[in-house]
Amino acid sequence: MSGPVDVVLVDDHLMFRTGVRASLDGSVNVVGEAASVDEAVRVVRELRPPVVLLDVHLPGGDGGGGAEVIRTCMDLLGGTRFLALSVSDAAEDVVAVIRAGARGYVTKAISGPDLSDAVRRVAGGDAVFSPRLAGFVLDSFGTAAGDVAIADDEMDRLSAREREVMRLIARGYSYREVASELFISIKTVETHVSAVLRKLQLSSRHELTRWAAARRLL
Amino acid sequence: MAGGVALGLAAHLNVSLTLVRWALVGMTLAGGLGAALYVFLWVTVPSGDPATAGGETRPPALTRLARVQGVGAERLRRLPVTDIATAAVLLAGAAVLVAVRTGATIDTSWVLPLVLLLAGITLGWSQLDAMQRGRMRSRTGGRTPVSVLRLAGGLVRAGGGVLLLVAQDTEPAALLQVTIAAVAVLAGVALVLAPWWLRLVRELGDERAARARESERADIAAHLHDSVLQTLALIRARAADDPAEVARMARAQERELREWLYDDRPAPGTSVAAALRAIVAEVEDSRSGPTGEAVAVDTVVVGDRVPDAQTEALLQATREALVNAVVHGRPPVSLYLEVGDETVEVFVRDRGDGFDVDAIPSDRFGVRESIMGRVRRRGGSATVQSKEGRGTEVHLCVPVRDDAAKPQREA
Repeated sequence: MSGPVDVVLVDDHLMFRTGVRASLDGSVNVVGEAASVDEAVRVVRELRPPVVLLDVHLPGGDGGGGAEVIRTCMDLLGGTRFLALSVSDAAEDVVAVIRAGARGYVTKAISGPDLSDAVRRVAGGDAVFSPRLAGFVLDSFGTAAGDVAIADDEMDRLSAREREVMRLIARGYSYREVASELFISIKTVETHVSAVLRKLQLSSRHELTRWAAARRLL
Repeated sequence: MAGGVALGLAAHLNVSLTLVRWALVGMTLAGGLGAALYVFLWVTVPSGDPATAGGETRPPALTRLARVQGVGAERLRRLPVTDIATAAVLLAGAAVLVAVRTGATIDTSWVLPLVLLLAGITLGWSQLDAMQRGRMRSRTGGRTPVSVLRLAGGLVRAGGGVLLLVAQDTEPAALLQVTIAAVAVLAGVALVLAPWWLRLVRELGDERAARARESERADIAAHLHDSVLQTLALIRARAADDPAEVARMARAQERELREWLYDDRPAPGTSVAAALRAIVAEVEDSRSGPTGEAVAVDTVVVGDRVPDAQTEALLQATREALVNAVVHGRPPVSLYLEVGDETVEVFVRDRGDGFDVDAIPSDRFGVRESIMGRVRRRGGSATVQSKEGRGTEVHLCVPVRDDAAKPQREA
């Protein structure tokens, strides 16, 4: 990849923004910051960065937080990718931003190098899954063998390979480690993860819908 | 029947409902005793199952509200109004009977209207009592068909009683006219008072909502004060001299706050996931890494079930593996638990230098017995994968029977 990746940092805590700025390495360049939904939409529209680091819980707007920012900037999704960043463990937060169109979800406990890596990955068009997000996926799509898709075009099921990749990520494996464990290339791992992300966004799976509806998400 | 007396009696005496009903009917036909008994029991015996009423008061550990409405205190404070009223009515009745026997004459034209009036008033006021009770149980207004029926019945009886009382010697035609006039006046008054009454109801609702919000806020403030503020103060005091201890405190506080905010807290003994989290908390709090630093365990759980002997053994082995990973390995330590239909699996991973599994001497009790032995005795499998520079991963797996029901996590 040529040159550093431009990033807009959206979080309502100044202390956290400062911390992230300091922890990112040279391959990532913070070009703008925002602290609320409205400010984020304005800054993102103005700067059109390749990657936006987005907190899930944000003040302002209609109270929709990070998911609202993504939905408002829907027309930019081709050129701008969102990476959700949160302290929250709650399933509804994760599902809300991913369904809105975020390309990944990482927790704020992530280390600086890992975060920089995640930003580069998202900029390159890949999806970024934290172990916890992989756990959510397995939880909502099911881990039993009967839940495995036979045909690849089924949106509501994971293929056997995708399930394997998700399990390894949930166990704390990096993409590189997943690749060497399964004897496949890193590129293939990324393809699988992107496919799972798409399923998570488009799935009409009964479990996922019911689960989100019970928490008044949809 | 109307008051559910027969049902209650049947439940109490442990005889069939039909039998009780027939007995009551029979006693009523034989001199009206059954009807009197019915009314007496209806008034004096509290409704509802005392066992369920006792169960309604939740254990204090489960109530998150800081200021719990004092249900018990309220019950004590309330006077036994119905009992006193019943006694008064019975005494009055006895006095009247005695008076009649001794020769005094009572003008019967006064008795019927008075009884009607009293019955109406009692019915109307009993409504208030029932509403108070209803409000304590739920926050809905308490407008049940029964309460509406009671109010209407009370109004009709009281109205009839008053009319009979004031218009004792009037002709039926005139009585009808008077009735119409009275109803018209009442309707007019009701029309004027309606807006005021509506506002009162709305204000009551607003006030209730505000009170609920207030108590929730007090609840949160109390929690933050008791836990978060205390920990922050401790951290500030010790930041300079003991970074490992500070990191540990911050981690413990984070865990507690997270649990408080996001977990729907399954009851103890019903969730393998909750048991695992407790183990993680214990290990994080009590063990440190090779250089004395606090180690956070990155935990991911998929699925859940009710613990049994199988999962108990698995969790014990998991604890040992976790302690090994924290003490001898290198962070980050990852823990993954997957509950399937036939097996429960655990992966514990660290990023230490790794070691040669076959080189473990057989007298090293730790890994061989406490981890592998425990799981294998339960018909499970335990493997340790350790590669130079890629850390160590312990994989534990026990078979489980599927008949154990999964815990209810529904809200």
